[in-house]
Amino acid sequence: MVKTVVRIDDLRLEFLSQAGPFEALKGISLEIGEGEIVGVVGESGSGKSVTAMNLLQLLPRTKINVPTGSISVLGHDVQAMNERQLQAIRGGEISMIFQEPMTALNPVLRVKNQIDDVILRHRHVTPKEAEQISLKLLADTKISDPQRVYESFPHELSGGMRQRVMIAMAFSCSPKLIVADEPTTALDVTVQAQILDLLKERARDTKTSVLLITHDLAVVAQLCDRVYVMYKGEFVENGKTSDVIGNPQHVYTRALLNSLPEGKAPKSRLATVSAAMLEGNTGEVIDEPIEPVTRIARTGDTILKMQGATVRYPKDYNFFGRPVSFHTAVDHVNLEIKEGETLALVGESGCGKTSLANAVVGLNLLSDGAILYRDKNILDLNEETLREIQIVFQDPQSSLDPRWPVWRIMTEPLTVGKSPGKSELRDRAADLCEMVGLENSQIDRLPHEFSGGQRQRIAIGRALSVRPKLLVLDEPTSALDVSVQAQILNLLLDLQDEHGLTYLFISHDVSVVKHIADKVAVMFQSKVVEAGDSDQVLTAPTHEYTRTLMNAVPSLNRAFAA
Amino acid sequence: MSSTAETVPPDAQSGGTLGSLMGPLVPVLHQLIRLIVLLFTVTTLLFFMLRLAGDPALVLAGNDATPQQLEAIRAQYGLDKPLVIQYFNYMGNLAQGDFGKSLASGEPAMGKVLTMLPATLLIAGLAMAFSIIVAIPLGAWLGFKPERADRRSVSGVIFVCQGVPGFVTALIFIQVFAVNLRWLPSLGMEWGTIIEWAITETLSIPIPVPSKTWILPAASLAWFLMPSLTRVVAANTAEAMREDYIRTARAGGASAATLLWSHALPNALLGAAALIGTQFAFLMGGAVITETIFAWPGIGWLLIEATQTLDFPVVQSLALCIATLVFAVNALTDLSFQFLDPRLRTKGN
Repeated sequence: MVKTVVRIDDLRLEFLSQAGPFEALKGISLEIGEGEIVGVVGESGSGKSVTAMNLLQLLPRTKINVPTGSISVLGHDVQAMNERQLQAIRGGEISMIFQEPMTALNPVLRVKNQIDDVILRHRHVTPKEAEQISLKLLADTKISDPQRVYESFPHELSGGMRQRVMIAMAFSCSPKLIVADEPTTALDVTVQAQILDLLKERARDTKTSVLLITHDLAVVAQLCDRVYVMYKGEFVENGKTSDVIGNPQHVYTRALLNSLPEGKAPKSRLATVSAAMLEGNTGEVIDEPIEPVTRIARTGDTILKMQGATVRYPKDYNFFGRPVSFHTAVDHVNLEIKEGETLALVGESGCGKTSLANAVVGLNLLSDGAILYRDKNILDLNEETLREIQIVFQDPQSSLDPRWPVWRIMTEPLTVGKSPGKSELRDRAADLCEMVGLENSQIDRLPHEFSGGQRQRIAIGRALSVRPKLLVLDEPTSALDVSVQAQILNLLLDLQDEHGLTYLFISHDVSVVKHIADKVAVMFQSKVVEAGDSDQVLTAPTHEYTRTLMNAVPSLNRAFAA
Repeated sequence: MSSTAETVPPDAQSGGTLGSLMGPLVPVLHQLIRLIVLLFTVTTLLFFMLRLAGDPALVLAGNDATPQQLEAIRAQYGLDKPLVIQYFNYMGNLAQGDFGKSLASGEPAMGKVLTMLPATLLIAGLAMAFSIIVAIPLGAWLGFKPERADRRSVSGVIFVCQGVPGFVTALIFIQVFAVNLRWLPSLGMEWGTIIEWAITETLSIPIPVPSKTWILPAASLAWFLMPSLTRVVAANTAEAMREDYIRTARAGGASAATLLWSHALPNALLGAAALIGTQFAFLMGGAVITETIFAWPGIGWLLIEATQTLDFPVVQSLALCIATLVFAVNALTDLSFQFLDPRLRTKGN
């Protein structure tokens, strides 16, 4: 019988706010055995991070209320411990790995101080010994140059290296339990694969239990022995990972799995969670077949052509402030999009895909080459034609003006060079709302009153206001939950059907690309290394990088095949 | 992360070799060029503006001078020549290091300024030091848990203090400490004395003893600087405490003191350094009101006197001196950012 490391029993937790108490956890129970890797999967706001933070009692105690339930971690009743007692176990017996490696390390302190500090706090060693331990830990994370990383400031390291530092830190005092809160969400897929492997290997080697918090079912499938599915503050289902994912019992788990593009027919309509949850009582399985939708392929003439498109950014300047050396972000890219088609540009952060997207809409100027829209250089287009190309940005949180009501945001492109009346604009905004699936009574609201998915609908509506022909979509679903991502993908496909739109779809997510794109171009180190029909490129890649990328993508099917 | 560095065709690179030859000197040269442009602009603007303000000959000759006397004075000081010629003469003299003579006393104008400068630097340094010593710990304490009732009431008091004008504080200090309690002198300035501390018959160590006259001016000036600095430190500390790296440190078992002093405060000081720089640069212009109230013989006091008597060479010299000091303080502030924030340190090639 394995020893139990964590036992949570019927825990309820309320946040106290001026608007009244908000119940974040509604009676959850959870157990983690020694050496076990347990996943908690759920969407944003489901309460999974609250669960994680609560294990170490990191939530401000004055702002929460625990009416019932107990948490026992390694035999400690953490809810009864005071701050000083908790400090003794935090980072020692229990440690944590956080999501955002860019902000989770202190920018003004060297890695050295940050790791050594934890070791000196919990282990009785001299600073000299602490240094040796730190270097050994960094070496264990397979960092190429431990000594250099040890002496570095966080900003001198890449995201993946910082996350390795976090892992080294988490393992520094031989903890019994590691709580990892979305440890790979902010990383590129190839880096994510390395970090997940590393985490699993280190945990197995040291017999450490891991509680992994994530929104990504494929990550859970790859790493976890058991999984808890969380929805609105409750665990709706739990069990062995293969059982839960292979044979989900709860309607929410089914809906979540169905909203993933992986394994679905390309361009089919994906299930969305809210629709599934509305249909049945919780707990009951609804066998809802996913209807394949026949999409009309309307491929026409070439609409956009990139001829040796090159974008360079100045890197060093001479005495007179003139650039003397350049960083090439986009290197002689040749691509073509036909009308009505979706071309996806796939690649990892820093590969140049966003620089290219910005060049297509004229936000970046080309240093070399040309981009032709209907055989005319985009630099020579008149204003009217230029508007046929529109862009939707990644993060709807920061790309919408927080002080403008929806109708003004959506119709702003119509006021460039013209001055239509207010009522005319409001009517158009109401139409656009309907088009993108918002209620037209919402046009007077401000962006913060909407959810992330709704905000992305607003951004799409804004782009559609001038009746564009070509839409550049720069990671339009990366900031969204999977079920919301499904809604936006459905919307984009419907809009394309209805209006014959052409998409240039930028993404790092191969499964999304597989679902939506006709053609795929893979970018690596500023160059397009492979391009062609999406079936062909993604199933039988010829370039080595494409193969690496495909293998790194966490996949439900592959996790169980292994 | 890919980074494909490229060199451009050779013809575009001619400036590059020049730049690389001078290497680390480039930023220094940039600063020097900026300083020269600044001083030139200040001098030129001031020259013409001052000539619009009045006729120095009238001031020199007094109210009941005859026209002949005025003519003679104008000829003596070169004030009868066209303004543009006067300007070129003046600039020519400046280029040779001749700042002119005070119209009032005939002493070299810059010399007069430089003798008054140490008093101003002394009071500015003392006030700044007082203010920093109080504001940083106080601000850190306030920002650590800003929602607590005690912090909120202290913040309220500081908010009120910020609204009290500097001269009111100075007058209250004089009333309380000089008039009522008679602890401290209210006027004038003395340099400190040096006491020889005899350790043995032959060996003695000189110990500087500050003068009591420093306390009230420095304290009232510090009182004026402190509230805003405290509030900036508090706001930045509170902001830093909400950052992810604080959560990381807490999860690593860091105590409240470690969180505040090792993690939050070093980040909060980045914002405070900007304000300290601005405040110090402001003080370089001479704390005019404070120096006047306490009859403190600094450049702020000299500025009032020289402006009232239209003593152009002295005003011009003051302006040059203040502009240089403000420039130096700003350059130091920029340097301090690089010291405080590793992200701003440029990578050496």
